[in-house]
Amino acid sequence: MAAPDFAEFKLVPKGHSFEDFEEGQVFEHHWGRTLNAGDNSLFTTATLTHCPLYYNAEYARAHSHPDVVINPLLIACTAVGLSVEDLSEGGGPFLGISGLKFHQPMYPGDTLRARSTVVSKRESQSRGNFGIVTWRTEGRNQRGELVISYERTNLVARRRETKK
Amino acid sequence: MSEPISKLTGRGNYFEDFVVGAKMRHARGTTIGEIENQMLTKLVLNTADGHYNEHRMQSTNFKTRLVFGLVTGSVCIGLATQDTGENALAELELDGIRFTSPVFHGDTLYAYSEVLEKRDADRDDAGIVRFKHWGAKQDGTVVFEGERTVLIKRRSHWGNK
Repeated sequence: MAAPDFAEFKLVPKGHSFEDFEEGQVFEHHWGRTLNAGDNSLFTTATLTHCPLYYNAEYARAHSHPDVVINPLLIACTAVGLSVEDLSEGGGPFLGISGLKFHQPMYPGDTLRARSTVVSKRESQSRGNFGIVTWRTEGRNQRGELVISYERTNLVARRRETKK
Repeated sequence: MSEPISKLTGRGNYFEDFVVGAKMRHARGTTIGEIENQMLTKLVLNTADGHYNEHRMQSTNFKTRLVFGLVTGSVCIGLATQDTGENALAELELDGIRFTSPVFHGDTLYAYSEVLEKRDADRDDAGIVRFKHWGAKQDGTVVFEGERTVLIKRRSHWGNK
């Protein structure tokens, strides 16, 4: 049987363009992520984060934690990861993160949800095909308690048909 | 825990040991490959396939997959952690996080830190230290910089526990 002509298949698009963002707009990001002990060990060992709070449960319990502590950088990476389709998958370099705060620890089995608000958007003076967008992202656990917050700024691609 | 917990971590990185202005070159580097970039990017549900679609990235100006910035940042902070957070009680803040040059599979990262500030915490068994961290590639190109604020145990309270 001949292969189908994939050129006839319509792309299911992902991501947003600069034009899609408005100041004050809120995104409740998809999926959520339960962070388990395996995620924490893999992330912590692969990044060489050598603090036993993240991989020695007895040590963590001796510091009044109920279990190993989820590596805070794993929380940061997951909050950003959950937000990528809505905010930055459309393309454009990461410019920076500022004002990141870890508000309370997470433990294996806790679930992270992320939401973001558009703080500002402006034209890029140097790169006409992009604009600059800043979002404030908050990550909460399954009880709705704030665990992480930060502002992220990216160059965001304009829609292809409007590119110079 | 039957064994004293202070035996599990270093003796030279309690709050009292940090000196404002001190600069540290961390001993180990690591080469970034499939585990660090592809595995961790997917682990955290980052859907941007520029980090894991080699075929598509070959047609871009980069010619290859880009390492996810926060993987670079996490590895650089990781490389600095034994010296700047092994005796931490909690990570508090990050600020001024910048990715100043792209990182590709096969690049090797090294980390550098400077002690910016020390201050008392609202508990007497620990203090707060603010560090500036840099990450650089094998050729010295700076790829990451950022500030990190950490709550670190005081030896006076924890050194013999």
